[in-house]
Amino acid sequence: MKELLACWAAVIRVKLAEQMAYRSHFALSVLLLVIGDLVVPLVTLLVYRSGASFPGWSLHEALLVQAVFVLAKGIAFPFFFGMIGTTLSQVREGTFDLLLLRPRPAMLMAMLLGFDPEDFGRLLSGAVLFGFALSGVVVPHWTSWLQFALLFIASIAILCAMSLFLSGLLFRWVGSSRVFDIFDAMTGFGMYPGTIFSKTMQNILTYVLPIGLIAFVPASALLGRSGWGSLWALGSAALLMLVGIWYWNRMLKNYTSAGG
Amino acid sequence: MIEVKHLSKTYTTFERGHTLREVVKTLVHRPMKEIRAVDDISFTIEQGEMVAFLGPNGAGKSTTLKMLTGVLHPSAGEVTCLGLVPWKQRRQYVRRVGAVFGQKSQLIWDIPPSDAFYMNKAIYGVPDKEYNETLDELVELLQVGDIMRKPTRQLSLGERMKCEFIMAMLHRPELVFLDEPTIGLDMIAKESIRSFIRRMNERKITFILTTHDLEDVELLAERVMVINHGKIVVDDALSGLRSRLGAKKSVRLTTEQPVPDELPPGLRLLQRSGPLELELEIDTDVLPLKPFISHFNESYGILDMAIEALPIEAVMKQLYTTDHAKEHA
Repeated sequence: MKELLACWAAVIRVKLAEQMAYRSHFALSVLLLVIGDLVVPLVTLLVYRSGASFPGWSLHEALLVQAVFVLAKGIAFPFFFGMIGTTLSQVREGTFDLLLLRPRPAMLMAMLLGFDPEDFGRLLSGAVLFGFALSGVVVPHWTSWLQFALLFIASIAILCAMSLFLSGLLFRWVGSSRVFDIFDAMTGFGMYPGTIFSKTMQNILTYVLPIGLIAFVPASALLGRSGWGSLWALGSAALLMLVGIWYWNRMLKNYTSAGG
Repeated sequence: MIEVKHLSKTYTTFERGHTLREVVKTLVHRPMKEIRAVDDISFTIEQGEMVAFLGPNGAGKSTTLKMLTGVLHPSAGEVTCLGLVPWKQRRQYVRRVGAVFGQKSQLIWDIPPSDAFYMNKAIYGVPDKEYNETLDELVELLQVGDIMRKPTRQLSLGERMKCEFIMAMLHRPELVFLDEPTIGLDMIAKESIRSFIRRMNERKITFILTTHDLEDVELLAERVMVINHGKIVVDDALSGLRSRLGAKKSVRLTTEQPVPDELPPGLRLLQRSGPLELELEIDTDVLPLKPFISHFNESYGILDMAIEALPIEAVMKQLYTTDHAKEHA
């Protein structure tokens, strides 16, 4: 474990050094990510200012769902989602060979080498939005905070599982950069309170594609809208994570390298 | 150290033509084709050997190497390297193995090599003391002390390749795979890399080399395996490889009189570099050197002459074409 942490720290150090080679690019990327992540909340703000609303949700409550979503991405993207880009380029070029020549689990190496400090910009925008949203709601009880903390871990696990599924696909769909569009299309619904959708859609977003578990369920827990029963999401996230790991390792066997 | 038994690798790929019609057709149906890249090969390699894998493009060299490194799973057969099965015990195995790819860099483009070395140290879990000792020694041997802190993108190809070697040797591997390690390098850089490989090999580190640069083979390898169409067609010492093609030698001549294109049996014109300068291939089994020299001196007047072993390029060319001809017979 100590070796793994040292390995992780060294990779993060090197990745930061890599970013610092082009500081203006780094600063601009972070800024653009912050702006990009704040577009939907700004639209929400405009909707509420115009007198419309998501039924049953105040502006700050709706923004809290979006803040949780951006926060979850702010953690999942730098640590896990880089592996999609790593797989995309390295499998196509055949340089994934080099990753397999490292004495560490291939999945861990793909995650480590995909670590992207730029994505911490999302954490920044998420934190700002989270603070703003919380300023307009009743201060949550500590039990709500505890439920939220547990469900937020589940949310990160679900995003991690998604990155494993998308990255795994790329061993077969070599070079298909559309996997990012698949993610955006799937998770777009997660930015809104689940109750604004029809019952069928809510069930799909909770039990089939667990998009609702990324932000809606944790935010509802923080707002005291759901009880301890919502913690079933922990089991669901753990299961999804296990399936993601199994799937990724299975897809890795499809790796054929490139001509030498 | 390495034992390979009946190793095979088959993979499927799709093929299509280049016309618009064929391109559109592949949107609906892609005809698959099975390729047998490696076909039932067996061999053993002892510790400290320096073996070259040769063969034309697409012969199966790289696929064999990738199976030996544990990157690819074979379709059939057994491999034991350093007492381990590479693709099954990959993590244990690669800890003891190094690799340098002339066309795939392990360095990080925008930052100095020293940062990439540091990352490898952590990934391999090399203790600080061992890392510092090894790094100092490798830097000294390859004379790259002054470039370690320059961004990789600012280094010359030769400097980068030296750093690739450091990257591959930092964890003190017992077995090193080299895939075209001198590709694109100038003579000075090539010599420096070759001398480094020889020094490391003296320490009983096993090297497996694939290359198209036959000078690398002549100057480094003790043993040559020629792979063609997925099969090992030759597994021999370099001298043995030469003798397989008969007692042939290359003769460079400068004569007083022009030599005609029609030559006696045992002689073949390789090239003519001037009206009175030419290079011949002589099969001394058919025409021994003594009668050849006296005949040429009497008929055309020898002004200058150099007799050399047939260049390895000629040996390989003959080997590839013979094998190709057999395949199509």
